[in-house]
Amino acid sequence: MRGIRRRFVLMIGVLALVLAACGEGGGDGNGPEAAPKAPAAGKETLKIGGLWAMTGIGQSFGKNASAVFQMAIDEINAQGGVELADGRKLPLEGMVYDEGCPSPEPGIAATRKAAGDPVVIMLGPNCSSVAEPVFGILQKTLDDPNDTGLQLPFFTDGAIKAGLAKISPWAFRNVPSEAEMYGVLFQHLKDTTSYKTVGLGTEIDFAHSKSTADNAIKPAAEKAGFTLVADEGWKLTDTDFSTQASKIREAKPDVVVTASHPFTTCGFLKELGRQGFAPKALVALTSSLTAETIEGCPKEAEGMIGPSSFAPVNPEAAAVADKVAKEYSGFVDIHSAPVYENLMLLKDLFKSAGVEGRPDTVAQDRRRIRDQLEKTTEFKGLLGTIKFHHELGGEVEKPWLVSQVKGGKFVLQWVPPQFEAVIEKS
Amino acid sequence: MITDIVQQLLNGVLVGSTYALIGIGFTLIWGFMRRFNVAYGATAIGAAFLGLAAHRAAPSLPLVVPFLVAMAGGAILGYAVDLVSFRYLPKDYELAPLMSTLGVLFLVEEAINHTTEGRPQDFPALIQTSLHTGQLFGTGPYFVRGDYVVVFVLSVGVVAGLYWVLFRTRLGLALRATAQQPVAAQLVGISPIRSDAQAFMLTGALAGAAGMLLSMGVGTATAELATSYTVRGLTVAVIGGLGSIPGAIVGGLVIGVIEFEALGFLGIGYRDIFAYLALFAVLVVRPQGLLGRRVG
Repeated sequence: MRGIRRRFVLMIGVLALVLAACGEGGGDGNGPEAAPKAPAAGKETLKIGGLWAMTGIGQSFGKNASAVFQMAIDEINAQGGVELADGRKLPLEGMVYDEGCPSPEPGIAATRKAAGDPVVIMLGPNCSSVAEPVFGILQKTLDDPNDTGLQLPFFTDGAIKAGLAKISPWAFRNVPSEAEMYGVLFQHLKDTTSYKTVGLGTEIDFAHSKSTADNAIKPAAEKAGFTLVADEGWKLTDTDFSTQASKIREAKPDVVVTASHPFTTCGFLKELGRQGFAPKALVALTSSLTAETIEGCPKEAEGMIGPSSFAPVNPEAAAVADKVAKEYSGFVDIHSAPVYENLMLLKDLFKSAGVEGRPDTVAQDRRRIRDQLEKTTEFKGLLGTIKFHHELGGEVEKPWLVSQVKGGKFVLQWVPPQFEAVIEKS
Repeated sequence: MITDIVQQLLNGVLVGSTYALIGIGFTLIWGFMRRFNVAYGATAIGAAFLGLAAHRAAPSLPLVVPFLVAMAGGAILGYAVDLVSFRYLPKDYELAPLMSTLGVLFLVEEAINHTTEGRPQDFPALIQTSLHTGQLFGTGPYFVRGDYVVVFVLSVGVVAGLYWVLFRTRLGLALRATAQQPVAAQLVGISPIRSDAQAFMLTGALAGAAGMLLSMGVGTATAELATSYTVRGLTVAVIGGLGSIPGAIVGGLVIGVIEFEALGFLGIGYRDIFAYLALFAVLVVRPQGLLGRRVG
C-alpha cells in the first residue's frame, strides 16, 4: 500500500513538472501571459494587448507575432516609452492572450477578458476564423446605446481574409489585399512566361485558404487568361494527398497553386514529388511563405513563389528581421511584420489621440485611439508607406513583392512596378 | 472508370492498412481492460517525434534505429498513460479514464507544439530517393506508392509479431488471462497491475511503430495528427468490432477504401460523409462491429 502511495505521489510530481514545463510560455486560453521583459512591478505602464495563437495548430504564427511584439515594445521603451496627452512618458507593457486558432471560442473568451483588463488597444488575431467572430462581438454602431458590443479597438496584423475590418468600426487591419496581389502576380506570370494552365489545391476547411482560393486566386488566374485544369481539395489535418496529386499530375498544369497552410502544403508537395511531377511554376498561399514551410519541406518548397508584404529588402526591414530572429527567437514574415508597423504607428498616435493613460480613463482612451486611427490616412511600414482606406472599413493598401524559396531561404523574386519606387532594394 | 475504381481501391487498401495499425491499439486496450484509451493517437505521435529526435541526433544511422526508439518511447508513454489515467482512478467510474486520457491527448499535443513551436516537422522518407525521381511503381495504368507498400508490409509484420506475443508467449497468456478472467488470473499468481502495465507498454510500442510509419509515410508531421489519428483509430476499431484485432484490420481497410472511392469520384467534400455514414450503418445494422462479438 505504501509502495502504491509513494508511486502515486511520484506520478503526481512528474505530472506537475510536465505541466509546469508545458505551461512555460504558453497561455491558458483566456488569461494574459506576462510579457517576458515587463517593466518592474508597480511601475505605471500603458498596456497593449495581443491576441494571437499561442497554442494549437497556428501557434507558430502567434509565437512570431509575440516575438515581434516584445521586440518593438523593448525598442520603444528603450527610447523612453510613449508620450501621452499631458506630456508624460509611460513605458509600454504587452499582454498576450491566446486566440486558440482555429476554434473561435477561446479567442472570443480572451477578447472578453481583455475588455475587462486595462489594455487600450488589441493587436491580432492571427487567424481569420478567429477574427471574424471576435470582430462580431465588437460594437457595430458607434455611439449607439442599444449596441452593447465591446468597445475595444483592434489593429489586426495577421487575419488576412478579405473584408474583415468592415465587421465593426472598432476593427482596423494592416494586411495586404490578396485579391490585388494574386491579380498582379498572375498577370505578371502571363506576361513574362508561356504558361497557360493552372492546377489548384485548396485546404477547404480553413477560412483563409478557402476564401483566398475562391475569391482571389481563381478569379486572378482566370482574369489573366489562365485555364484552370484541375481544382482539388483537402483538409487541414489530412495526411494523404495521392488522389489530389495524381489528378493534378494527370491534368499537367504549367502552374500549380497551393491555397493551404504549411503542414498540408508540405504533404501535398511531397506527394507531387513522389509522383514525379514538377510544375513549371509553384505558387503558394501568402501564409505558406513562412519559416514553417521551409522547415517542413525544404527540398520540395524550393523555387516556390508567392506574394508577401514583407521581405528583408531594406536596411530597416533587415535589421528588424535579424533582431527578432537572434534575440527573440521569432521569424518576421507577412503576418508578424505588421505587428512592428502597428506598434510604431501607435507609439506616435497616443499623444495626438489625447490618450491619458490612467486606470480610470481606459474606456475613453480606447475610444480616442479608435477615432485617431480613423483619422490616420497613412503611416510608415517596413517596405514603404501604408495607406488607410477607411471607405473600405479600416483596411489598408501596402507595398508588397514576390518572394521565392531559394536554397532554403526566401529571396526577392520580383517587385510589382507600382512599388518599385517605394521598395528600396538591398 | 474501372481503372479509377481499381486505382482508388489500391490506394484505399494501402492507406487503410495504416488506419488499421492505429485501430488495433484502441481495440487491444478495450479487449484487455474494457476501457477507451483516447490517448493512443497521442502516444503514437509523441513516440514518432521521439523517433525523429533520435534520427536528427544521429542521421547517419539506419532508419531502423529511430523506428526502435519510437517503439521504446511509445512503450514508456503507454506506461505513463496507465499510471496517469488508469491505475489510480476508481474502477467504478468508466468515464474517468476516458476523460483522463482525453486530457493526456491534449497534454501531449501541446507538449509537442511547444517543443516544435507548432511547426510541421520534416520526417525522413521510408524509401530514400532524390526528389522527383518518383517513388511509385505499378503496372499498366495502375500505380502504388512504394513507401505505402513498405508500410503495408511492415504493418503485416507488426501484426504478426503482436499475434506471436499474444498467443505464443507467457506474457500474452498472462495478458489474455487477465482480460478474460481477472480473478482467476490473480488466483494463479498473475498480477493485474503488472498485466495492465504490460498491456499499455505493448500497445504503446505498437503505437510508436504506427506513429513512425505513418509520419514517415506522410513525410511531415504536426502534433495535431494525434487528434486526427484518434478519431480514425476509434472509428476503425468500432467498425471492426471493439476487442477484435482482425476486426480492426478489416475496419481500417473498409474505411480506407470508402474514403478513397468517395474522394476520387465525388471529391473531398464527400469523403468524410461516406466514411461516417459507414460507421452509422455498422452501428445500426451490426452494433458489435463487423467482426466483434455480440455482448449480452
